[in-house]
Amino acid sequence: MAYLRLDRLVKSYDGRANAVDDISIDIARGEFLTFLGPSGSGKTTTLMMIAGFEEPTRGGIELAGEDLTRRKPYERNIGVVFQNYALFPHMTVARNVAFPLRMRGFPRAQQATRVGEMLRLVGLGEYADRYPRQLSGGQQQRVALARGLVFNPDVLLLDEPLGALDKSLREQMQVELKRIHREVGVTMVYVTHDQTEAMTMSDRIAVFDHGRLAQVAPPLEVYHRPLTRFVGEFIGDSNFFTGTVDAARPGRVELDGLGPIQVDVEACRRIGGGRVDVLVRPEAVQLAGAGGPTLPNSISMKITVIVNYGDSVLVIGDARGHPVRMRLPGAPPPAVREAATITVGWLPTDAHLIGVRL
Amino acid sequence: MLVLALLAALFLLAPILIVVPMSFSTAISFQFPPPAYWLGYYRKFFTSEEWLEPALNSLIIAVGAMALTMLLVVPAAFGYVRYRFRGKSMVNLLIMSPLIVPHVVSALAYYGFLGRAKLTGTLPGVIIAHGVLAVPVAFLVITATLKGFDRNLERAAMSAGAGPLRTFVHVTLPVLRPGMLVGALFAFLSSFNEAVVALFIAGRGAATLPKKMYESIRLESDPVIAVVSTLLVSAVVLGVLLSVFARRRPSMRLDT
Repeated sequence: MAYLRLDRLVKSYDGRANAVDDISIDIARGEFLTFLGPSGSGKTTTLMMIAGFEEPTRGGIELAGEDLTRRKPYERNIGVVFQNYALFPHMTVARNVAFPLRMRGFPRAQQATRVGEMLRLVGLGEYADRYPRQLSGGQQQRVALARGLVFNPDVLLLDEPLGALDKSLREQMQVELKRIHREVGVTMVYVTHDQTEAMTMSDRIAVFDHGRLAQVAPPLEVYHRPLTRFVGEFIGDSNFFTGTVDAARPGRVELDGLGPIQVDVEACRRIGGGRVDVLVRPEAVQLAGAGGPTLPNSISMKITVIVNYGDSVLVIGDARGHPVRMRLPGAPPPAVREAATITVGWLPTDAHLIGVRL
Repeated sequence: MLVLALLAALFLLAPILIVVPMSFSTAISFQFPPPAYWLGYYRKFFTSEEWLEPALNSLIIAVGAMALTMLLVVPAAFGYVRYRFRGKSMVNLLIMSPLIVPHVVSALAYYGFLGRAKLTGTLPGVIIAHGVLAVPVAFLVITATLKGFDRNLERAAMSAGAGPLRTFVHVTLPVLRPGMLVGALFAFLSSFNEAVVALFIAGRGAATLPKKMYESIRLESDPVIAVVSTLLVSAVVLGVLLSVFARRRPSMRLDT
């Protein structure tokens, strides 16, 4: 059931390279969808096309069955929140929030009630008469959020809204944004290059890679079953090995330089045969041998670096020239120290295979 | 360092400040220090047609030139800052040319041009010349303001439901207003203080204050000039203070 539909969107600024290259996504009503990707991957340009600030070179945008593609931004019913807040500096908080209602000709009394409701929703009831410059960055972003939501938009677009905030405030605002999304129930499209933000907030993540859509899926699926090596590397920490699947021997991958490992038979069948990228998340890598569990896939490695995070340890080792990253919860056991050689391994089901298209 | 700075300031300001006591002097010609003080020359200035008429002309011309400058500069600045086009640097040079060409040369050119259009010695003639001369200063101020303008403000207004006109009236213009005022003020002052072009083209009919002063000092060394100078300096100081105030208005800045 598509509510907002992006249909083969293409945007080219110079007529040769495509900044956005054939993007199609169906977004459900009330969904929280995140556009995730590095800068220059086309996610913001796509957002600007949904808002109507950029015109698509090709393709269409539909909202609830209506064609929006050529409609002006002020003829769409879409709210936008910008990274730099973009609050009107010459208006008070209340007038900023009331602005969309004024432009839409709401009766005055109704405007006041609605502005009050919105400011309470974002926790700024007391600040109605302040000017934006008298507020902190986080507070300004809340005002921008209230302004984007006040006119009951069909969709709220957020362009890296937390990018300018410091870390603790950002985490607080993530929780807040999720609460507001639940309370208001509006469809949100959220742009970020921060994978943690995408993981914690989204119903689904759309990963952008060089103007193309690499994958659209729920966060855990994107994390555990990335469709491309780019997605696997961009989201979370990762170990990637290359290898070959022999169609005649399912359940087995011959890793380049490291020998055969066991993998899930189903995963192998899905791939068929040929070259593969094998993804093993560092937290799936465990200590093996010497008292530990016996794992079907084990390799020995020499520890090069140990990074202590307090709640976990990242161990980086070298296995016959291949870097291996292992994340252990808590404090490191005594056997794990720099320059020591240890045996590590993982379960066959923890290896995710990505077919390499030649 | 501070002493040096003060000395430099004194060196620059002293000649200007000397006219202030001289304007209150009783001497019949320029004399420093003044033998005694009175307000007689102020009375003379404010009662003689000979001085009041050029003062009024100057005011009318400055206001007219300011309006003309803004009409030319505001659209030009928007076009220049917001669009890319072929020959942009040439356009910039063209707009800046009144600043580069010596005033005497401009004056001569206006004399010929406006004479042919039968506009020498008229207020509109001087307004046209002064309006064009003030373009570079106003253009510099207004493009600078415009470059600092965050276009997301306009996008925010549009997504809030405001069309292009309402976006301009409710958002763009109010945010740019302080910069525009400073640009207009500079245009006003540049016309109000301009002497060379006025000497060539103002004639009898549109004589401005600086022109009248120049003639007066050549013919009679009338101490009223000290009065006018004092008034002009006060006006300029007031204007600059106003522009500083406008710039310090926080709505000018978008950051916190």
